[in-house]
Amino acid sequence: MMPEPQPTPKVARFFPSTWAGRCALISIAWGLLMIVGWVLNTEWDKEPATNRPTKNPVGDYVSADTCRSCHPGNYASWHASYHRTMTQVANSETILADMAGLEITAFSTDYIVLEQDGKHYVRSKPEGAPEAKFTDPQEIVLLTGSHNMQICWMTSNDGRTVEQFPFAYIVAEDMWVPMTHSFLMPPEHITPYSKGEWNISCINCHVTKGRSRIVEGETFDSDVSDFGISCEACHSGGREHVELNRDPTRRFKLHLTDTPDQTIANPADMDGPTSSLLCGQCHSIWNFNNAEAHMEFVKENSDFRPGHTELKLRNVPQPSGADAAEKRAAMIANDAATFDNSYWRDGMVRVTGREYNGVTASPCFKGKDFSCLSCHEMHPANTEATALKQWAKNQMAPGKMTNQACLQCHQDMAADISAHTYHPEASTGSSCYNCHMPHSSFGLLRGVRSHEVASPSAIETIELGRPNACNLCHLDQPLAWTAGKLHEWYGHDIPVMEKDDHEISLAAKWILKGDAAQRALISWSMGWEPAQRASDYRWLYPFLIFELNDPYPAVRFVAWKSLQSLPGFSGYKYDYTVNDDLQKEASARAYQKWWQEQRDPRHTYEWKTLLQPNGTFRQSEYERLLRERDNRKVNLLE
Amino acid sequence: MTTSNRHLRHGWWALFTFLTLGVVLETLHGFKIGWYLNADADIRRLMFTLAHAHGTLLALVNIAAGVTLRVVEGFDLEKNVSRALTWGSIVMPVGFFLGGVVIHGGDPGLGVLLVPVGAFMLVYASACTARNLSKALKSK
Repeated sequence: MMPEPQPTPKVARFFPSTWAGRCALISIAWGLLMIVGWVLNTEWDKEPATNRPTKNPVGDYVSADTCRSCHPGNYASWHASYHRTMTQVANSETILADMAGLEITAFSTDYIVLEQDGKHYVRSKPEGAPEAKFTDPQEIVLLTGSHNMQICWMTSNDGRTVEQFPFAYIVAEDMWVPMTHSFLMPPEHITPYSKGEWNISCINCHVTKGRSRIVEGETFDSDVSDFGISCEACHSGGREHVELNRDPTRRFKLHLTDTPDQTIANPADMDGPTSSLLCGQCHSIWNFNNAEAHMEFVKENSDFRPGHTELKLRNVPQPSGADAAEKRAAMIANDAATFDNSYWRDGMVRVTGREYNGVTASPCFKGKDFSCLSCHEMHPANTEATALKQWAKNQMAPGKMTNQACLQCHQDMAADISAHTYHPEASTGSSCYNCHMPHSSFGLLRGVRSHEVASPSAIETIELGRPNACNLCHLDQPLAWTAGKLHEWYGHDIPVMEKDDHEISLAAKWILKGDAAQRALISWSMGWEPAQRASDYRWLYPFLIFELNDPYPAVRFVAWKSLQSLPGFSGYKYDYTVNDDLQKEASARAYQKWWQEQRDPRHTYEWKTLLQPNGTFRQSEYERLLRERDNRKVNLLE
Repeated sequence: MTTSNRHLRHGWWALFTFLTLGVVLETLHGFKIGWYLNADADIRRLMFTLAHAHGTLLALVNIAAGVTLRVVEGFDLEKNVSRALTWGSIVMPVGFFLGGVVIHGGDPGLGVLLVPVGAFMLVYASACTARNLSKALKSK
């Protein structure tokens, strides 16, 4: 008997047999995949940090992250710039120095830095106290700077208020120095920044749209739109721009008609004064209009936006120029020391980072075309990594490192530049910058080009104590030589000068007799290669070696770096932070090295350089100038 | 020429073309050509990469379609489906490529408008192919 056929067992179907079912299955699969993707991309630790200022774009700000997808080239150049890293959240990638295990003492305090899980912590105790006296660890949470120096900010156990780790890391030297050694300030100045200084002061310019937000006393609840200076600092808040441009038809209409987008500011489309002001919102010496304006700024920042012609709650005083004599006199009468630490007596700014004051006081600025962008560019066309690294050093526009910067307007001089400069065309003496923007400003432990375009003047050197371009290059020449050349070439009046100005090199005179700022600028120029060539570098050694024992740390640093630039002293080791005895010892050792190894006994040193023919100092003159030294306290307010 | 042969011929030529594009892109990488590699050319790099990837993959799809037509008894493609598959395989990668030739910041050029046209053809062709293949397999 045949067995009865069994019904086919029902098997669950995983794949539907109908088209509708298949489509539904595929849709569900896509949906699941999207959910998985979303979950994987979600940062579950998005809770903002509570122990430091936080990133919180508000109002019309959206932060630079939003700009990247549409402006990859501009984002890349900004990303390569030091504007971006002006403030960063601290982590093992952003901290430039190898800090783990760092032990350092200053301000009568011992500091030790520990690393754990990629985070850095600082503990401190009174100098020499037992280990048990170490404070609780303070985490390093923020960093300022990354180009020349980097400053660390620690938690304060007081909300988002941060406190300074009172040392600066000098990037090129790979060394930590007390903060007071990173500025040109009197040696007895020993007060590091107080708690909350970043929240109330640095936040104004070292971030984009920072809001200090005082809770009470020295406690802050600060936030920023972006750490560092980002897109919206120059292009204004981008929320409307971003929202409108989600529409591809709008974007393509703008692309294809080459129409400027009215929803965003573009400095390239602004007139000179307007585009310069957006740089000047930070690169200037500015004041709050009044106490109420300050309080409003602290609370919500300003409603100044790039494209506006006024800073709103703030103002930039301009004491330079003949028409500003009254304002200048009032500022000096109000606080002469502060004035002198920021400006030369004619109102020309003398510190770096305040270029707007210089630019706007320049004769070139009187028209509407001249601006920061006449020489600088923020978004170079070549976004190749090496090119961007080179550009980031000074953000110069192509060709603007040369005379082309000036010749774009002063075209009449292009045909025969020597007729104007009285120097060979290829000489550094024919560089517009060297004569009209000399290194007469100071900051970041070096001489910096003045951004007030001006002509060299022996009279100003006498009246203001400001080094002129001629003597910053021709270091071996007395001031009378400069006055004579300026009279012969340009018809300047010859001023009445003291005997030294006829007989002694201005550089030699000032490095002994000048105030700390003059000594710093002359020391820097002695390391400047064009000046070494123009002046015969051989007589510079004893002066720079002498300055290794200058009372001002910044001057010692500059002298050391200049000494290193001279033959035989490349890589010369010296710690400018040590005490006076060790400085003297280092100075004596360097002198001995020069005398025995570098000094050419056949060379005859010139009398005007204050040296005997064999290279020793003309002792009586040397001592007299030292006795006459200008010991006024100088504290340049960078 | 049979439908199968047409897809096989198209597939192998397309494979040759888009593999060659791949070699060109590698060469641009090798010589570090800024026009292709710099940060401001992000979207160009993406478009060209997508053109290469889609072109190559769709060439293989055409070869697969040609082989399937030969192997599966009773399976055939209507003329319009076959054309949609062939032309979609051309239009979509070419759209990506043209979108990368002229770029506007983070936006591709107008050539990218060919991409959705090609995508539509391919979605249509693949759906019809799946339907026809299912029918052929069921009837066996």
